Amino acid sequence: MKKKTIIRYILIVAIFVITILEIAPIILIILNSFKTDKEIWFGNPFSFFIPTLNSYHNVISSTTFTHGLLISLIVGVLVTIISVMLGALAAYGLTRFKFRGRNVIAYSMLSSRMIPQLALMVPFYMLFRTFGMLDMTPSLVIAYISFNIPYAIWMLLPFFASVPKSFEEAATIDGASRNQIFWRIVLPLAVPGLSVASIFVFINSWNEFLYALILTGSKDQTAPIAIMGYLGEYTPKWGEISAAGMIMLIPAFIIALFMQKYVIEGLSIGGVKG
Amino acid sequence: MDENKRRRRGFPPSLYFILPATLTVGIIVAFPLFYAFFMSLFNWPLVGAQRTFIGLGNYLSMFEDNEFINSVLRQVGVVVIAVPIELIIGFFVAILFDRKFPGSKILRSLVLLPAFVLPVLSGLTWRLMLAPQYGPLTYLMQIMGFPNQAWLANPQLAYATVIIQDVWRMWPFMFAFIYGGLMNVPKELIEAAKIDGSGFWNTILKILLPVLEPTIAIAVMFRIVDILRIFPEVYVMTGGGPGDATMLFSLYIQEQAFSFFNIGYASAMSMLLLAVSIVIAIFLAKNVFEANES
Repeated sequence: MKKKTIIRYILIVAIFVITILEIAPIILIILNSFKTDKEIWFGNPFSFFIPTLNSYHNVISSTTFTHGLLISLIVGVLVTIISVMLGALAAYGLTRFKFRGRNVIAYSMLSSRMIPQLALMVPFYMLFRTFGMLDMTPSLVIAYISFNIPYAIWMLLPFFASVPKSFEEAATIDGASRNQIFWRIVLPLAVPGLSVASIFVFINSWNEFLYALILTGSKDQTAPIAIMGYLGEYTPKWGEISAAGMIMLIPAFIIALFMQKYVIEGLSIGGVKG
Repeated sequence: MDENKRRRRGFPPSLYFILPATLTVGIIVAFPLFYAFFMSLFNWPLVGAQRTFIGLGNYLSMFEDNEFINSVLRQVGVVVIAVPIELIIGFFVAILFDRKFPGSKILRSLVLLPAFVLPVLSGLTWRLMLAPQYGPLTYLMQIMGFPNQAWLANPQLAYATVIIQDVWRMWPFMFAFIYGGLMNVPKELIEAAKIDGSGFWNTILKILLPVLEPTIAIAVMFRIVDILRIFPEVYVMTGGGPGDATMLFSLYIQEQAFSFFNIGYASAMSMLLLAVSIVIAIFLAKNVFEANES
């Protein structure tokens, strides 16, 4: 019995150690965001330092970064609304109706979630160039929903599949139309799924780099591209990179600290249900 | 209900739900993919000169392009090395976390944080940690007796760093999958094994692995598809260098398209990447869709 408790304590200590090692790089970002570039370049990385908000000040007063933040935010919100809305309709349709071609649509939707963004990079660039839409916010929204609609359907399928049909049958008897049933009965029941999907779609768009790099120039640059700009020609401004990174990490912190129950569910949806 | 159905015969209700997403994806995914295939049949420079039709020429030249072959091998190397490591770490940490203790929830969330870190920020942070002179990891290595060197300037070490970076960021993803799966394993099953005197390894091999197999298979496939498109991390960390040491397939496509302006050739390579992903995807989609059917 005693041996068992000792093992238990050892294991818990191991968990703590693993966690600290795992988040060490993030702690480094936090610390560096309160240092000056000079302290990072010339100081001992582990020595004591007096925290300063200098880097945050520089980052926030740089229009390149704040404009990037604004674009990232606008794109993120639009992409989330469009993808989750269309995704919810499709996921409901796929779980509730039997019709010809259903399997084909289901398979192609679900497999397009796996299409690498990289495969669409060249055609998107060429098409947007042809239509004179390079460096424009709508192009980014289009490019981002291309992979987020299938992603949203993928995430929402299990949630809609688990809404009991008996509710709907009861409503049908009461004379409600399909439309009413969806908007008034099914959708409210699927709110947890919609929240999980929204969070993950937003993060997908917020973190995206490749399309932003290819499709935007100076005008409609997103924040992740603006962060890269701090690398400079020879001397990376690590303080600014870290401060800007901290601002970009806010959604991640919110999810991890306040929406714990959604995280595992969201990350492992295919796994748990499969 | 029958009457209702008849009245709407002209417009089946299923279309109302399915059509918006299907049309949108058809226009913004399927059409560009066909366009990419079309471009892949041409010698198509991004600027200036005329494009010329060369049929499957681009596909054939891939086999003669050593840089292409090497970039594919490097990418496969990353998959083959990183994914199993991520799986093993994720698996055992999931087992570790499968117990109640004070603070377990918050630790679990913290461990998952890296999976949400922007890839570009992750790449930059690893670049900082390994910077010569002032990088914290370089500093620790020096204390441990390693020479003060520019890690990312050494081809082998740079390649290793690409893998380590990915393992750091993505083993928590494997962890989340397997932890989620573990929650669904009936506790009686494990208790029964314990009562039977089954040891730790035996319980894992005989009970946990078979039960978790579908979960693990899906997690691994997700990771493979995702790691095939690894880009921002490497782009800002090494830019494919030093030399070509970390020029992965994904970076090579981008370079061919936007540094060498070979749009046709880059499209042909995109098609290849697409084909590989689709094979994995169909398998996965079948699994998931059928699971939701029952």
